[in-house]
Parts: sequence; C-alpha cells; structure tokens
Amino acid sequence: MEKPRIRTHDLGRSYGDVTALTGVSVTAEAGRVLGVLGHNGAGKTTLVDILATRVAPTSGRAEVCGFDVFQDAPEVRRRIGVAAQFVALDEGLSGRANLVLLARLLGARRRQAEDRAAELLTVFGLDDAAERLPATYSGGMRRRLDLAAALLGRPEVLFLDEPSTGLDPVARVELWDVIGKLAADGTTVVLTTQDLQEAEALATDIVVLGAGHVVARGTPAELKGDVAGRTATVTVADPAVLEQAGVVLLAAGFPSLPDPFRNTLTTALPQPGAVADLVRALDRSGVGVADIAVAEPTLNDVYFALHRAGWKTP
Amino acid sequence: MSRGASEWTGSTVPAQVGLLTARSLRTAFGNPRLVFYGLLQPIVLLLLFSQVFRGVAALPGVAVYRAYIDYLMPATMVNIAVVTAMSSGIGVMAEIYTGFIGRLRTMPISMTSVLAARTLADATRLAVQLAVITGAAFAFLDFRPADAAGTVAACLLAVFTGWGVGWLFVAIATWQSKPEVMQAVSFVVMFPLMFTSSAYMPVASMPTLLRWIARANPLTYAVDAARRLCFGQAFGTALAEAVLLVCGAAAIGGFFAVRNFTARS
Repeated sequence: MEKPRIRTHDLGRSYGDVTALTGVSVTAEAGRVLGVLGHNGAGKTTLVDILATRVAPTSGRAEVCGFDVFQDAPEVRRRIGVAAQFVALDEGLSGRANLVLLARLLGARRRQAEDRAAELLTVFGLDDAAERLPATYSGGMRRRLDLAAALLGRPEVLFLDEPSTGLDPVARVELWDVIGKLAADGTTVVLTTQDLQEAEALATDIVVLGAGHVVARGTPAELKGDVAGRTATVTVADPAVLEQAGVVLLAAGFPSLPDPFRNTLTTALPQPGAVADLVRALDRSGVGVADIAVAEPTLNDVYFALHRAGWKTP
Repeated sequence: MSRGASEWTGSTVPAQVGLLTARSLRTAFGNPRLVFYGLLQPIVLLLLFSQVFRGVAALPGVAVYRAYIDYLMPATMVNIAVVTAMSSGIGVMAEIYTGFIGRLRTMPISMTSVLAARTLADATRLAVQLAVITGAAFAFLDFRPADAAGTVAACLLAVFTGWGVGWLFVAIATWQSKPEVMQAVSFVVMFPLMFTSSAYMPVASMPTLLRWIARANPLTYAVDAARRLCFGQAFGTALAEAVLLVCGAAAIGGFFAVRNFTARS
C-alpha cells in the first residue's frame, strides 16, 4: 500500500507569543483532494507554507511524499507544485517565457522545457496569448498560467491557495474541471479555500481549522452527517394547526423550529430512516400536511454549525 | 498532463545563476522606457553636478585637474555604481513582494543563486550604463581622461564596487518587510556614503568630523582609485584598498543576505 502523500503529526507553528498552528495531524493519499477550510487567521496558509517548505514548523512533524519538510526540503520541492493565492510570475516575461524559464530551473533541457510549456499552454487554452506579457491577461488567464507553472514538473502534490479567487463563474467551473482531472490522474491536491461551494465541488477529504487547530475532519459526507445532519421541513395545510404539529413532532422526538410566515416547521433528522418515523407520527395525529421536504446539509451548514460551537476541537 | 515524479532531476547552481541572470537582463533591457530612463538618469546627474559644483574647480586638490569634469567623472562612475547597488536591494524586495521569489522558494533551486543572479544582472546593466555615460561625458562634456586603458579599468572597478556594495543592499532588503521601508533605508545609507566621500569635494576641504568620516568611507577609496586610473597617476595602495573594501562589503553583505534569505522564518 502506498504511503500517504501528506502526513503531519502534532504539527505546530508559533510566531513569538502568537500560535498560528497547534497539534495538527492530517493525512492525504494519492489522488485525493484535501480541502482545508477555516476563517481568516485559522492557520490554513501556515499549514500550506509548512508543507510547501516555505516555513519551518516549531513543533511536530510533517512529511510530503515520505520526505520530512524540514530535513529533506529539496526532495519535497522536487515533488510539489504551488499556486498561491496571488499569481506569482515574472511580469517582464511572456507567458511562454515564464513557463520555459521555470521548467529549465527544474532541470529540463531547452527543448524539453519548450515542449512542456507548449503542452501546458494548450491544455490551459493559452496558445493565443503565449507571447504576451502576463499583465495583458485577464484574471482567469493569469490564474490558468499560474496553475500551468505549478504543474510544470508533474508534481505528485499540488497546493492551491484559494484558486478561484477573482474568477468569473465559467472560468471557475473550468478550473475545477482541470483540478478534478489532475486528482483523477493521481495527483494529491491540497486546496485551501473560503469558498464552501468550491470545497463541496472538489474536496474528497476536509479538514476544518479554527484558531490554529483542527476542529473537524472527514469526508464531506461524514462531516455533514456528524456536524450538521439532514433536515426536514414540514409545511402545514392550515396555519392554525402549526402549533399542534409542533407538539406532535416534539412528542415523536423531533424538536422543531416554526416559521409562521411560511407555515413550516424545520427539524433535524438524526439518523437514516428518521423521516419515515416523522411521516408516521404526523399521519397518526391527523394534522393536515401540505408538503414535507428533506434537505441534505451543505458544507455551509457544517461550517456555521462549527462556528456556532465556537470552533471547539471535536 | 500525466502525473508522476518529474523526470527532471533539478538544475545545477551555475545553470540557475545563468538562467536567472539572463531572465533579469531580459526584463531590464526588454522595456525600452526602462532602458531609456536608466541611461538618462546618470547623464542628468552628471550634467547637474558638473554645473552646480563648478566653483569647486579652484579648490586645492581639484585645481590640479584640467577641468572639474575630469575630477567629477571618475567619482560619478562610482556613484552610479552605488545607485545601481541600491537598486539591487530594491529589486529583490520588489520580487519578494510580487510573489515571484515565493514561487522560487518552493522549487528545488538554491536561494543563493537567486541573489547572485540579481547582483550579476545589475552589474551587467551597470557596465552598459558606465560605457554610455563615459562616452557621453567624453563627447559632450569635455571629459578628457589621460589614460584610455586606465579609464576602462576605472569602469571595471566601478562595476566591481556596484556588485560588492549591491550585496549590502540585498542584505538590507532581506531584513525589511516593505518596499517603501527598503527605499527609505537605502536612501539613508546611500546619500551619506556619496556625499561624505571624496566624490564631489576634496577631503582636505571638509570640516574635521566629516574629514574623519570621509577617510573611513569605502567610497573614498574607490573614487580615489578610479581617479588615479583615469589619469594615469600612481595609485600606490589605493586600488588594493578599494578592492579589499569591496570584497569585504560583498562578504559581509553576502553572508547576511544568504543567511536571512535562506532561513525559513
């Protein structure tokens, strides 16, 4: 069995008296997309900076592709690609020249570098803009060029820091498509984002950081089940029976939140099959029901649930 | 776009320095406006100083020269070198700020290569500037050095000075967090260096305190050596002292620059 591409144990980083990261243990296998979520200052960028060998940890251990990020930084750097939140290119060189330069720094011969640059320019739809300076690119084109630069060395682990910032909806979906294909091809992607829709679309595993420590982890489905859960919204046929319906639900073990403006009661469904119990209870009581809608939780619900809980460690 | 460990095993340090130097030069000379103003700036400075300080020509120590421009031009070579050295630091800071150096930090390359390439590219740019300004001074400002080979040697000394002092400014850049602060610190360092040297006035004509400072100022040694080279004067230990001081500046600046730059905060 292949070792995890990313493995951290009790990882921490302090800046003087300020603790940016503490006790963080995460793993990510080949072909997985690890979404790192958290509020501003939660420690997302510090975690990525440590894994990308830009910052040394002050406690714990971190390995990328089996190499220690501090002791074996050159080996780690041979195996990673990084696309930071802000596009980092030489603004004095054309798109093509940027890619050729970076490929040659990675050790490619001139011809190899030119071929790889041409391949990536085509993949990212930048052929027509290849000879132009990045300053003349749109935000989406710059982001694609930056991602192409991160992929030059065929990295085993790709770090993406808020990759769709500033992109229009179409460009965003196109970028997600590229990231999805990379993961399907075996690349491990570490994605830090504040965009929960992006995490929902891409992440196979999620770590939520709060104030420098892990407050939740799991697959999106596990998190939704553990932290937020499914909900049912019951719409009563007659506003006069809203209160009675609430009493029926409570008696059946479903405390609910009434919305008298919409004539609805919203309640959590704690386990699979609970919706059947809820329907039976309402049916037995004879309360007129117009509709029952079951909603799957989103990462938004998870995030807000964690926020309401004060970012406490599970 | 197939994935797998890269077949590229990394580049050598000389290759990295070569690639990054060429890239900096391509950026510097690829912008016609930057080239134009980069060359115009020292010419304007030379014109300005040659006129403003014209009255100095009668002072002892200057009067031995045929004209003030002959006294001024070798000093201007060294001063242009210091301005270029300052731009090395500002250039490094700017690239830290734009994130390009952040990208390089995640690649399997030596950070020392990044700094060496910056100072080498700036030294090359300086050599071009010096060639142009020396030609312009000869053609338009009546600069008449006594020794052609010595003048070339003075230009090379200025290039060496710019490269060595450049490491000091690069070290300062690695200590600062913002380009604006870097620029302010650079001016605080650069102007005293330029004006408390023998560049514009003979040291003997300065007040006692300034005279002491001027004699301790490494630029005084570089300027004196450049003058002697241009006018075929015996330079005694002046050249050796200048070279030694520049080597010292490069060693100290290089040590701190590399130490700060390679440290992962």
